[in-house]
Amino acid sequence: MSEGSDDGLPADAPLGSAVVRMMLGAQLRRLREGAGLSPEAAGYQIRASRSKISRMETGRVGFKERDVADLLQLYGVTDARVLTSMLELASQANAQDWWAKFGDVLPDWFEPYLGLEAAASLIRTFDLQFVNGLFQTEAYARSVASIGLRGAGAAEVDRRVGVRIRRQELLTGARAPRVWSIIDEAALRRAVGGPEVMRGQLRHLAEIARLPNVTLQVAPFRIGGHDAAGGAFTVLRFAEPDVPDVVYIEQLTGAMYLEKRADVDHYLDVSNRLGARSLNPAASMRFFSEVLREL
Amino acid sequence: MSIQDGTGVEPLSFDTSVAHPARVYDYWLGGKDNYEADREAAEQVIAANPNVLPGVRANRAFLRRAVKYLVQEAGIRQFLDIGTGLPTAENTHEVAQAVAPESRIVYVDNDPIVLAHARALLTSTPEGATAYVHADARDTEKILQEAAEVLDLSQPVAVMALMVLQYVPDAAHPGQIVGALMDAVPAGSYLTISDTTRDIDLERVTEGTNRLNTRMGATQLILRTRDEMAGFFGHLDFVDPGLVPLPQWHAEADPAHIIPAYAGMARKS
Repeated sequence: MSEGSDDGLPADAPLGSAVVRMMLGAQLRRLREGAGLSPEAAGYQIRASRSKISRMETGRVGFKERDVADLLQLYGVTDARVLTSMLELASQANAQDWWAKFGDVLPDWFEPYLGLEAAASLIRTFDLQFVNGLFQTEAYARSVASIGLRGAGAAEVDRRVGVRIRRQELLTGARAPRVWSIIDEAALRRAVGGPEVMRGQLRHLAEIARLPNVTLQVAPFRIGGHDAAGGAFTVLRFAEPDVPDVVYIEQLTGAMYLEKRADVDHYLDVSNRLGARSLNPAASMRFFSEVLREL
Repeated sequence: MSIQDGTGVEPLSFDTSVAHPARVYDYWLGGKDNYEADREAAEQVIAANPNVLPGVRANRAFLRRAVKYLVQEAGIRQFLDIGTGLPTAENTHEVAQAVAPESRIVYVDNDPIVLAHARALLTSTPEGATAYVHADARDTEKILQEAAEVLDLSQPVAVMALMVLQYVPDAAHPGQIVGALMDAVPAGSYLTISDTTRDIDLERVTEGTNRLNTRMGATQLILRTRDEMAGFFGHLDFVDPGLVPLPQWHAEADPAHIIPAYAGMARKS
């Protein structure tokens, strides 16, 4: 699921929804196969062709919620939680993503991330250079956006900051995911935007850490080298049992989306070791104050 | 520096190339916190004994029924949960706090990574408390000392040891471990235990256990008899119906599968 994997999608489809469609499609295929049904038989149920089922299962077309409900019934899915979560996915797959109107300032490799992030039940991050976008203050986000955009106009920086701030509504929304984030001390010491901006950012982190669904842990310099040698990454987990975790790694000119079990296992292992070695949440809170004082 | 304040600088001995009981259990429950070695071991056990899947689900259902009983019928508000495992749906504090939000739960596990998950993901209601103790079940002194920071040990406590004493060898005296914990809590406290048994469905259980044990590291699953398990309760008074096949304990529905495990709860008077 890297760049270019979206071939076959209508050009005007928001990519975020596309990723959700792929997830939903993969799950529908597993359920159909589990029920021992052919694509023809499934198509008959919703008055559609074999190829329509195939396009649905590869996430290349939108889903009518009614069709999804009918298929789930045909496949013998009765667990209310699975039904609800699949229908929720179907509704997200069709929704006009809020970020669609920011298309001009969003790199095409980042948009799928927004779709996955919005659908995740657990977000695990490791951050090294910068404070994670989900936790950035507006001033900090503005400094980061300006660094990456030497020569960009103020309007463009504004729009980039706007996306970032809008994204953060996820943390407190009705379907807020659990977020478990590990921050390297380096990201706390690097005074992006200057000491004043950084002080605000550190205070904000302490506030974020109080959210009931957020766990922040600091990986202090004194633990020495650690397993996340390659840098920042995010692991997204979805409530649906059959949908695999996705690892997201951002680079300067693109991003990688890793879904293969061996890759995901490796990043989970690194996250787990970091989680065990880093400061616990209470000690991390004290650490924020410590860095704040020394700034 | 201890792992407890998080500055755990000691090298981690967490080996992902051999099966780990918490991660195998996670796989059986449909979780995603497991690795290739765990999945392979878990599948091997399923092939030998397909009832392992309804078995682990039945144990989670037993946890739910037991905690509900303790909160609703016995008025318990403090829990000491030994062998936390990886977080799943309806963990002890969630079941307890759904009924009594002020409930206080101390989770104990000897594995730093399991504990990091618990600390990050098993968080309390604002009214209650959850805390996490990094200790081996055998180290009852450390468990009690750290639990006392969150629990009032002069008030009744429910000690939970679900599918955990089966990993404690006879040489480490599992009965003495729970005995020491129960000695430290007052009358009105409860002990709840579930474990796999060799009394039920022996052939398949033995084959499944052998397959698991050859794929795990130092930790090994030990199958015990009902009599051996009954001994863990010492002189405590069993809550009806006593130590019974796990699905039968306060059953809400007729069990559809043969589950090779016993479960019981007893009260200190």
